Amino acid sequence: MSVVPMKRVQIVGLKRDRKAVLEQIQRMGVVEIESSLGEDAFFTAQDTAGAKSIFQKNCTLAEQALAILDEHAPEDKGMLASLEGRKTLTVAEYEEKVRGRDTAVTHAKQIVALQKEYAEKLADLPKLEAQKISLEPWMKYDLPLDFEGTKTSKVFVGTVQGDCSLTALYEALGDVAADAEIIGQTPQQTYLSVICGKKDAQAVAEALHKLNFAKPPASSMNPAKAIQDIEQKMEGRRKEVDDLKAKIASHADQREELQFARDYFTMRADKYEVIGGLGQSKNTFIIDGYVPVTKAEKLETSLTDRYTISVELTDPGEDEDVPVALKNNGFSAPVESVVGSYSLPGKGEIDPTFLVSLFYYFLFGMMLGDAGYGLVIALATGFCLLKFKNMEEGMRKTLTLFCFCGISTAIWGLIFGSFFGDTVTVVSGTFFGKEVSVKPLWFAPLDNPMRMLGYCFLIGLIHLFVGLGVKLYQLLKAGKVLDAIYDVVFWYMLVGGCVVYLLSMSMITEMLAIEWLVPANVANIAGIVAGIGAVGIILTGGRESKNWGKRILKGLYAFYGITSYLSDVLSYSRLLALGLATSVIASVFNKMGSMGGKNIFGVIMFILVFLVGQILNLLINLLGAYVHTNRLQFVEFFGKFYEGGGREFRPFTENTKYFKIKEDI
Amino acid sequence: MASTGLFWALMGASFAGLFAGMGSALGVGKAGQAAAGVVTEDPSKFSKVLILQLLPGTQGIYGLLIAFITLSQIGVLGGGASDMSLAKGLLYFAACLPIAFVGLVSGNEQGKAAVSAIGLASKKPDQFGKSMIFPAMVETYAILALLISILAVFGVAGINI
Repeated sequence: MSVVPMKRVQIVGLKRDRKAVLEQIQRMGVVEIESSLGEDAFFTAQDTAGAKSIFQKNCTLAEQALAILDEHAPEDKGMLASLEGRKTLTVAEYEEKVRGRDTAVTHAKQIVALQKEYAEKLADLPKLEAQKISLEPWMKYDLPLDFEGTKTSKVFVGTVQGDCSLTALYEALGDVAADAEIIGQTPQQTYLSVICGKKDAQAVAEALHKLNFAKPPASSMNPAKAIQDIEQKMEGRRKEVDDLKAKIASHADQREELQFARDYFTMRADKYEVIGGLGQSKNTFIIDGYVPVTKAEKLETSLTDRYTISVELTDPGEDEDVPVALKNNGFSAPVESVVGSYSLPGKGEIDPTFLVSLFYYFLFGMMLGDAGYGLVIALATGFCLLKFKNMEEGMRKTLTLFCFCGISTAIWGLIFGSFFGDTVTVVSGTFFGKEVSVKPLWFAPLDNPMRMLGYCFLIGLIHLFVGLGVKLYQLLKAGKVLDAIYDVVFWYMLVGGCVVYLLSMSMITEMLAIEWLVPANVANIAGIVAGIGAVGIILTGGRESKNWGKRILKGLYAFYGITSYLSDVLSYSRLLALGLATSVIASVFNKMGSMGGKNIFGVIMFILVFLVGQILNLLINLLGAYVHTNRLQFVEFFGKFYEGGGREFRPFTENTKYFKIKEDI
Repeated sequence: MASTGLFWALMGASFAGLFAGMGSALGVGKAGQAAAGVVTEDPSKFSKVLILQLLPGTQGIYGLLIAFITLSQIGVLGGGASDMSLAKGLLYFAACLPIAFVGLVSGNEQGKAAVSAIGLASKKPDQFGKSMIFPAMVETYAILALLISILAVFGVAGINI
């Protein structure tokens, strides 16, 4: 419902309690600590960079080891494991585990070292493979490749480019007495050996050189033997790699210990980060920060009960940049993340979450507008919410948001008479020979789109006027009564008057399929009200200018803002368009599915098409409804009153990933 | 000899499917390249960038929707396609044009916005909510065109010429 009021807190304690006090604050997680270092020479900072970096290093080591374990011995996790949340530890269990932290680091080091060896061995395999491939064409050659000849003979082994035949080779050699042999051939290369007397070596070398003769791969064995050797080596490497893999996998039972180490060292590093920002004298330390008013007392008592310590709570000053936390009831709290993703309320702004949540569920449901889809979403998210009690707060809020949106979607689906599109009609018509349809509680937009469009505009107008209303409230709260009249009341008069006047024109009402017409005298009054509003806006829209000429010009520009109201209202036509998209696409799939006709084959086809098509449609339109509901809130609604710019409240807490520690106080 | 009315109506449906689909294909393709780049660096952002990549995909769906409504109105789908006057066929054709062309252009442009939004979401994951809004702005015009096409196609069905 509101922004949580904050208190400024200053804690002054004795240095010997520092560790315990900080740990307790960290566990409570209610204080945002800011640096308490001033210009003051008495309180100075302690350099904690060294200690911090050691903790961070250990933390990274544990993370690496965990990643390696995940690679070689993946944890057997269910699909929904990410919903399970962190394991809870009591303080006693925590103390117990802390004792194992050094062994965990040793194990992490071992795992990382094993992985390094593993990677090296693994990298050897392609190298050996390449050697083997380069030797393979020489298989038929039965001398070592580096054999150069005897006392009186000379042996040339190597390749020449292209497909060279034996005749061509002899031709190239000319009349030198030599014995040539083709060992192997590919279209690119010819593998050959030439033996000649030592005295002819020069001539042969020259002849071969002309053919682009190149040396074979270096090897002192005969090729067949060398390949066998390499194969043996590769076999050995593979075995080593497998052994290492198994060895790493055998560390899998240390996973929990590593996870704990990761969390523990993160917490320590965070703590030292904080300590680095604390003002400290020889025997005392100061913590400055903010604490929510509701938690302030508990913080004070729990600290003063245990330590010799002073906790001073004051109200933050006017121009202080106080962090913002939102507090809402269970109905609206899920929407906090939506507001947060735009911006948290700035100074003097109210928390819009409650209003946003009302419209959020309403608009979302309207855009998706199908009872079947709504039920699917609500049941799926509801099931997860009930099954995983220990879920993280953020995830819980997101799922609750979709659960509520799903319920709203289901309600709108009943109102519009849509259940997986026109599935009921199609199934009953195709397979049972008698068409039964879901009767809409109100009317189906597809039957009367113009009427629906009119209602969409009406909803848009209400949404916009509520936004303006919030602005009115904020201005009045700040005591700016005149601004409230100029910036809000005049606009109410102008826009409201215009709308009523438009409804007196038969052209508009016919278009929107409205049966009644605003009577002429009411229309005239509306016109006058709109006129007063328009004049008021022109006169006051530029009131910050002293010069009247300038002021009126600026006023006219402000009046031009009426066009933005027009486009804002038209923007709500997406409610109709997206709603129609859902039901029409669903009926497209149903129609496609029912083409098989009334037989067993047709039923199977229908079920398949139905499943694939409806899931696809649900996902696409879910995305659409989510994005466009956000847009209507952020652009149209917030555009009327909300600027945001608040800083999020980030308490000093256990920033852990796997465990949370239960404070038993 | 039958009039070419049915041909023009079918042409309209094809235009809606064709051009809006092309727009989405262009947009989703561009966004997909950017998204794949982000995932190479950080696989954990997959689900986020996937959502952003899909945003320009809706134009194709809108085109399909109009094509389908038109096909079933003129009886090509579901049987019973009867002869239709040239004037009526041309009216159907005209009714399909908004989503065809706006779909083509906005799909492509929304793809560009999505590429930038993917860049934003990868550098500042906490700004994901805002990054979705920029491409969604472009989509407004596709939705408006869709609306006009829907209203026009339904409207034409009722005209007796």
